[in-house]
Amino acid sequence: MSNEDKLQELKSKKLKLKEGGGQARIDKQHASGKLTARERIDLLLDQGSFIEIDAFVQHRSVEFGMDKTEAPADGVVTGYGTVDGRPIYVFAQDFTVVGGSLGEMHAMKIAKVLDMAMKNGVPVIGINDSGGARIQEGVDALKGYGDIFLRNTMASGVIPQIAVIMGPCAGGAVYSPALMDFVFMVDKTSQMFITGPQVVQAVTGEAVTAEQLGGAMTHNSTSGVAHFMYGDEKSCIEGIRKLLSFLPSNNLEDVPWQECDDDLNRLVPDLNYIVPDNPNKPYDVKDIITAVIDDGDFFEVQPYYAQNMVVGFARMNGKTVGIVANQPKVMAGSLDINASDKAARFVRFCDAFNIPLITFTDVPGYLPGVDQEHGGVIRHGAKLLYAYSEATVPKINVILRKAYGGAYIAMSSRHLGADMVFAWPTAEIAVMGPDGAANIIFRKEIEASDNPVETREQKIEEYRSQFANPYKAAARGYVDDIIVPEETRPRLIAALEMLAGKREERPAKKHGNFPV
Amino acid sequence: MRKFMINVNGKSYEVEVEEIRDGVTAQQPAAAPVSPAAPKAEAPAQVAPKAEAPKAKPITAPAGAITVSAPMPGTILDVKVKEGDSVKKGDVLIILEAMKMENEIMAPQDGKVVSVAVSKGASVNSGDPMIVLQ
Repeated sequence: MSNEDKLQELKSKKLKLKEGGGQARIDKQHASGKLTARERIDLLLDQGSFIEIDAFVQHRSVEFGMDKTEAPADGVVTGYGTVDGRPIYVFAQDFTVVGGSLGEMHAMKIAKVLDMAMKNGVPVIGINDSGGARIQEGVDALKGYGDIFLRNTMASGVIPQIAVIMGPCAGGAVYSPALMDFVFMVDKTSQMFITGPQVVQAVTGEAVTAEQLGGAMTHNSTSGVAHFMYGDEKSCIEGIRKLLSFLPSNNLEDVPWQECDDDLNRLVPDLNYIVPDNPNKPYDVKDIITAVIDDGDFFEVQPYYAQNMVVGFARMNGKTVGIVANQPKVMAGSLDINASDKAARFVRFCDAFNIPLITFTDVPGYLPGVDQEHGGVIRHGAKLLYAYSEATVPKINVILRKAYGGAYIAMSSRHLGADMVFAWPTAEIAVMGPDGAANIIFRKEIEASDNPVETREQKIEEYRSQFANPYKAAARGYVDDIIVPEETRPRLIAALEMLAGKREERPAKKHGNFPV
Repeated sequence: MRKFMINVNGKSYEVEVEEIRDGVTAQQPAAAPVSPAAPKAEAPAQVAPKAEAPKAKPITAPAGAITVSAPMPGTILDVKVKEGDSVKKGDVLIILEAMKMENEIMAPQDGKVVSVAVSKGASVNSGDPMIVLQ
């Protein structure tokens, strides 16, 4: 065979591999509103930057007629490329090749990419679109999942790992995304569940559609498994690129920096009046966030889940920060199981990747209720305390209004190691709200009074004027400064610059016992 | 009225049970526990309408309807809509005072108010249905 023939052979082999499961299956994929694995990668990465590896890998299964089954690239496309010029590893399951099912070699390819990403300190993106384990390969398929889970865990906190669900993701397969940092889903075309609707129906008798059981909205609003939801694959991929723009490539890198046109000394006079005079009136904390950050560009994480807590990424003077804020507009901004869980996970991600934390506090307390207590609000609430306490990145807190009781402590208080605590003049930092406190402290006076109702009102007002303010906490130094709200942006940026070189050690240990 | 001995976890309870016919009872329903820890004998639903503070009354949601439930325990400060009203997504339906806050409960989508299960001053628990939209 001449060199020319060999070149031709290589070309035709590569062409065949590129076709995946063939035109008929590709058409079917398109008809169901989905792109193919290669199309997705092309959209995700900078144009022409994708380099495929392991395209020639073949399965070595012979049982159940598998010896006659051809599976180009063994149903998963892997490789690397760039996003905005920064290196990225990627794997994308190919649903057109034996349903994207995961066998031994398919898993080996994914594991290889994870190993390389970890070794080189580069983020990894996994696009899931798979029917599940390749049953014909038996326990080898299970081994494959296990290998991936182990690597996901090893890579956790070393490189950002992003899971994208663009089709079915069922059974054991769901745990790789669950071990990664962020899960993206596409409305109507992606589902995740441990057991599908048929099994649920057979075992418990509950009739449920795949979409209700594990669709994008379910996991974004109810279960909290997913973090982002988009209407179609194109906008989903745009979202992934946007998220990557905020993240460093690994845990040893500083956050990326972008040229910032927004004046770092910009005052926002509206902020002086944004908190209503009546402490019982809600407002939207996102108005404050977007007013303070660079260009109002807030990339919210889990916008549909536990909306009483707002978390997301933004930039201050061009550098990424993580924002955590109570949302008075939803459930009074109270802390409950889901809000604690959501914020704790976000805080830990930011800490792992050197992203400074800015907290906006307006919290009336932990949500009372039998379902909360029985649901374990004690241990879930503890996650938030733990996450803030262990975080060594710069931690800045702005107390906007209420900061009561245990919830005050949990929300990045000085006592959990906040580096800088600012309060607005509207802040009410106290052990509990005026109504409750007056009932306890002045109970005797109220009972002895001829007009208990009036006395109670008086005492509430007395408590409010004496204690429901930021000055008591500032007198102890728990609050570093009480600032004019319009100056929030310059003050935050100045604090971030002052804290940029922060070094804080924790005792050497294997790992803490995070209250999961 | 018939008497039964019921054995629960080794404890005996004497329970009187009355049968209802056509929603009418011979006398007020009485479950007479011998022990203070007696299990609650399910009082027949129709017989004892409670005259206490208005609670969330049971509502039936027609197919395709959306029930707006209380997100947390609190007191209804104001009901902004009535049966038959048309609402748009984001319209305020109810003001629920809870956690020291007047929380605005908004319509999750456009629709028509089919029924209102709460009134001003009522206290609700989290998950209690408040309004049904269709």
